[in-house]
Amino acid sequence: MSDLIFLSLVSRHSSHLVRQQYDVIVVGGGHAGTEAAAAAARVGAETLLVSQKIETIGALSCNPSLGGVGKGQLVKEVDALDGLCGRAGDWAGIHFSILNRRKGPAVWGPRAQLDRQRYREFIQSELLSTPRLTVLEGSVEELFVSEPNPEEPGHHRVTGIRLANGSHPISASSVVLTTGTFLSGSLFMGQSKSPGGRIGDAPSSAGLSHTLRERLGLRTGRLRTGTPPRIVKDSVDLSLANVHPPDSHPTPFSFLNTHTHCKPEEQLPCYLTYTTPGVERVVRESLHLNCHIQEDAKGPRYCPSIESRVLRFPGRRHQVWLEPEGVTSDILYPQGLSMTMPPDVQLRLIREIPAMHRAEIHTPGYGVQYDFVCPTQLSPALQVKSTQGLFLAGQINGTTGYEEAAAQGLWAGVNAARCALSRPTVALSRTESYIGVLIDDLVSRGVTEPYRMFTSRAEFRTSLRPDNADLRLTLKGFEEVGCVSIVRYQEAVRVRDSLQDALATLQALALSTQNWRKKLPDMRMSEVKNSLLTGMDVLRYNDVSFEMLASAFPECLSHHMEFSQRLKIEAVYRPHCNLQKKEIERIQKEENMSLPQDINYLTLPVSLSHEVREILDRVRPTTLGAATRLQGMTPAAIIHLFNYVRRICFTYGKIPLSIVKKHYKIK
Amino acid sequence: MYFQVGLADAETIFALSSGHGRCGVAVVRASGPASSTALRCMTRLTRNLPPPRKALLRSITDPQSKEVLDRGLVFWFPAPHSFTGEDSVEFHIHGGPAVITAVLHALGSVPGMRPAEAGEFTRRAFQAGKLGLTEVEGLGDLIHAETEAQRRQALRQMSGDLGRLYQDWSHKLKRCLAHVEAFIDFSEDELIEDGVLNQVDTWVCDLQAEIERHLQDERRGERLRTGVQVVIAGAANAGKSSLLNTLCQRPAAIVSPIAGTTRDIVETALDIGGFPVLLSDTAGLRESPDLVEREGVRRARERVDQADLTLVVVDCAHLPSDAEQAATFLEGHLRSVLSPQEQSLLVLNKTDLLPEEQRLELDWELRRVSGLPPVCHISCHTNEGLQDFLAVLHRSVKTLCGDPLSCAPTLTQARHRAHLQQCFAALAQYQRYRDIDLALAAEGVRLALTSLGRITGHVGAEEILDIIFKDFCIGK
Repeated sequence: MSDLIFLSLVSRHSSHLVRQQYDVIVVGGGHAGTEAAAAAARVGAETLLVSQKIETIGALSCNPSLGGVGKGQLVKEVDALDGLCGRAGDWAGIHFSILNRRKGPAVWGPRAQLDRQRYREFIQSELLSTPRLTVLEGSVEELFVSEPNPEEPGHHRVTGIRLANGSHPISASSVVLTTGTFLSGSLFMGQSKSPGGRIGDAPSSAGLSHTLRERLGLRTGRLRTGTPPRIVKDSVDLSLANVHPPDSHPTPFSFLNTHTHCKPEEQLPCYLTYTTPGVERVVRESLHLNCHIQEDAKGPRYCPSIESRVLRFPGRRHQVWLEPEGVTSDILYPQGLSMTMPPDVQLRLIREIPAMHRAEIHTPGYGVQYDFVCPTQLSPALQVKSTQGLFLAGQINGTTGYEEAAAQGLWAGVNAARCALSRPTVALSRTESYIGVLIDDLVSRGVTEPYRMFTSRAEFRTSLRPDNADLRLTLKGFEEVGCVSIVRYQEAVRVRDSLQDALATLQALALSTQNWRKKLPDMRMSEVKNSLLTGMDVLRYNDVSFEMLASAFPECLSHHMEFSQRLKIEAVYRPHCNLQKKEIERIQKEENMSLPQDINYLTLPVSLSHEVREILDRVRPTTLGAATRLQGMTPAAIIHLFNYVRRICFTYGKIPLSIVKKHYKIK
Repeated sequence: MYFQVGLADAETIFALSSGHGRCGVAVVRASGPASSTALRCMTRLTRNLPPPRKALLRSITDPQSKEVLDRGLVFWFPAPHSFTGEDSVEFHIHGGPAVITAVLHALGSVPGMRPAEAGEFTRRAFQAGKLGLTEVEGLGDLIHAETEAQRRQALRQMSGDLGRLYQDWSHKLKRCLAHVEAFIDFSEDELIEDGVLNQVDTWVCDLQAEIERHLQDERRGERLRTGVQVVIAGAANAGKSSLLNTLCQRPAAIVSPIAGTTRDIVETALDIGGFPVLLSDTAGLRESPDLVEREGVRRARERVDQADLTLVVVDCAHLPSDAEQAATFLEGHLRSVLSPQEQSLLVLNKTDLLPEEQRLELDWELRRVSGLPPVCHISCHTNEGLQDFLAVLHRSVKTLCGDPLSCAPTLTQARHRAHLQQCFAALAQYQRYRDIDLALAAEGVRLALTSLGRITGHVGAEEILDIIFKDFCIGK
């Protein structure tokens, strides 16, 4: 990629080329930062992406894979909003599979193993070709904070950044921080501890976390995570592991792609192997040498180190996946073996696994502890409530995972841009997207451990499917949000119209049971009586596919073959989704009732218990809907709040409605 | 938290709006889009709705069974000119618990209707902007008081056996859901075997059976709240009204030696050994040329059919003098009055008119006939045998209600019944989709848990995840 070389050349030592003023500055070049910068530029903001190292922009710091159950839904949604990671995955994927294939399309988990280098190259070339986006190498030394704009809620306002090595300040209306594990990050290996967020990279400046905590008064917490040692591929006896082949027909993530970059037959397999009692013994014997495990920062329950798995579930064998890192890579990634013991013990441990009895370690595993900002201090736009113009996304908000970071990054970037361009911020509802579920969980409940997406977190899982993310988000993304290109929008409109047309045709196709039997002799139809069945009814049958209907009625259905799978899914799920509609509408109404952000709940002249006041004051829900979901809220308190919001409307009735709306976001 | 702040709920709610307890006229109110449908099918008004806000006298019928439940006034309040601002309907019906229960039950069978939660009508009125500012001020406190009362009541219930039972079910359902969710979210990457689902299948099956048994508890708990329906029936002039008057110790019904004095149903509420009883006196069962009396007889038969317990009153003086013939006569008489399987007591009245010897002979003869209900001799005139009769009646009523102190918990609220039925139906969805689409099967368990959660309290996603992590060895 010649573009890439160009990118590194212009941006590295080019402070004289960089403007002094941007609409949006994004700090950090990981999954959150790259999506944020690209989204902000798509919305129309002059955007600057600042990263410590140009080469690591778009790097996969941990596992070489994207998607999965729940996470795959996030990738589809980011793609539907014209984000990068779906298309990057299609370009860099070397092993595609849909998880949960037998469990129903609502919980299918599109997933791919990635070629690390291809992924990074794709992201970097996308950023380079994005209009209005500049990339700059540098470390942020300071965040400039000034007095707030008195017409907006908030106690502070962010005005820009200053880079290390003493260069001039760069000002911006919005700043998005996506610092990942670098905020007061420490690396752990054995008994040694050093500052940093990723091995091989310089620690970030202490100035930033000082500003967040001391100057802006944000509450922070500490989390930990870890990564496994990388194994030299040639040293592993793969004949002792089970081969896991990819899907024979790889399914792309992106709604824009009909096929993946990697040819089906060129895909690489994964390997599955298991821990042994020897692994458990090594963990126990080396506990005294492992200070990461002894620290009490909260680690994720669902991505635990091998140490905590063995200690919590002793006497069991645990899965270890050996994953390829790329087409030409000579390294394997042992998923499930994240560890922080001294390197010599790590080697002893992996050699307890038969397939790795002679394995060599390429890079040892290590643990990271880092600060995160308690996300209940954010609005659903991912803006810090107390600070105008400051947005946070990714691990800084207490999440884990590339997909979670990308989703937040995109949404923070969208809102940072809208804010800078004096457009109102926008929120996604948990009734319409996994991104909405993710953000609502973060800002209204907070986190106690690294947050990861699961399909079980989505109440409306049967409506929020991977197959319909474009219909849920692309149209809105273009019409209301402004982050979707016209090309993608036109494609989504075409898809929507074709689907509607096909569904209407199916609905109009009404035949008696007898006639259906004649048309589809292979179908087992249990229904008797003389009632008419529509094409939709019949398509709901387990053993009926759209292809069967299309060959029975070629004149009216065959031109819809492109969408045969989507139509089948739609037919099966539609009755269930219709049942959910009422509840969805109720929640959306509540979410449309904004609570003013400058309410002083402690002195509000409304009958509220002291306990409820404290909860409201601490969390400061942005909508009545969010307030009802708070733990400890009472029905009476909700009614009083509701009434208060309405009374404000009443009192301010003499002021033009638009101003009332602007100040209190009342709909 | 199960309070909803929906602004214009699409659901139609109904409830008894007049106070609880006995009253002459009861008002049942429905509000929401399905109100007009409910009005139409309950009053058989096929074409036009009644003129807005005008009283109309109609027979109120059960839309399923087409049975006439009562005759009363109905009102139609089209939106927005109603208390709630939505389409509303009012039924002004007779205040007997039996009538009210029947009308509420019938409303519940209309599609789109559900029983209202406490304070829901007021809340809708508030949301529609139908309350003034001062009223609004008080509303929060009102709802607070209502929910407090509800909470205390729920707590009382919940601390008992019933609460333990529902909590136990909720716990089992949470486990079912956690295991299904674990299988969906983790099984591809983790060591979660298909056996997990077989376990869930067994649990779901067991739960369904338990809930079904519980739902078929013959309404005992509800009887405890609304009263046991006891109906006095028998031939004309057997002394039915005298029995009613004797039991309630006041002349509630007019008694006279003229056969056919009671033409309509006379109801009175009694407390029998601590159990609420709704006692109805009916017209004597006989062929009559009198149109009014014939209607009375029809109603009497109808009431007997609905009764929890029927007291069949027989005039001893009119029995054949031969004991064997008398027994055969009584057997036939019971068959003519009661429908099969119906619970009853045989009350031989005017026992003071029967010689002692003949009475003993009759008793002896009756004991030889199998399948007869308990027999009591009484005299409403002298109060002879009354204590024994009351003891027998108490025993029967107690059996019907279920002893609240004994261990078998029963349903106490129609609302609970509705939620349990939803829960039961949702579990069937799990079984239906188990092998076809696990996401839809899981949706069934989610719905079941939500329905049960409306009785036991809300269950959130985090709680399910906690169970998943406790039960499974989950890694990335």
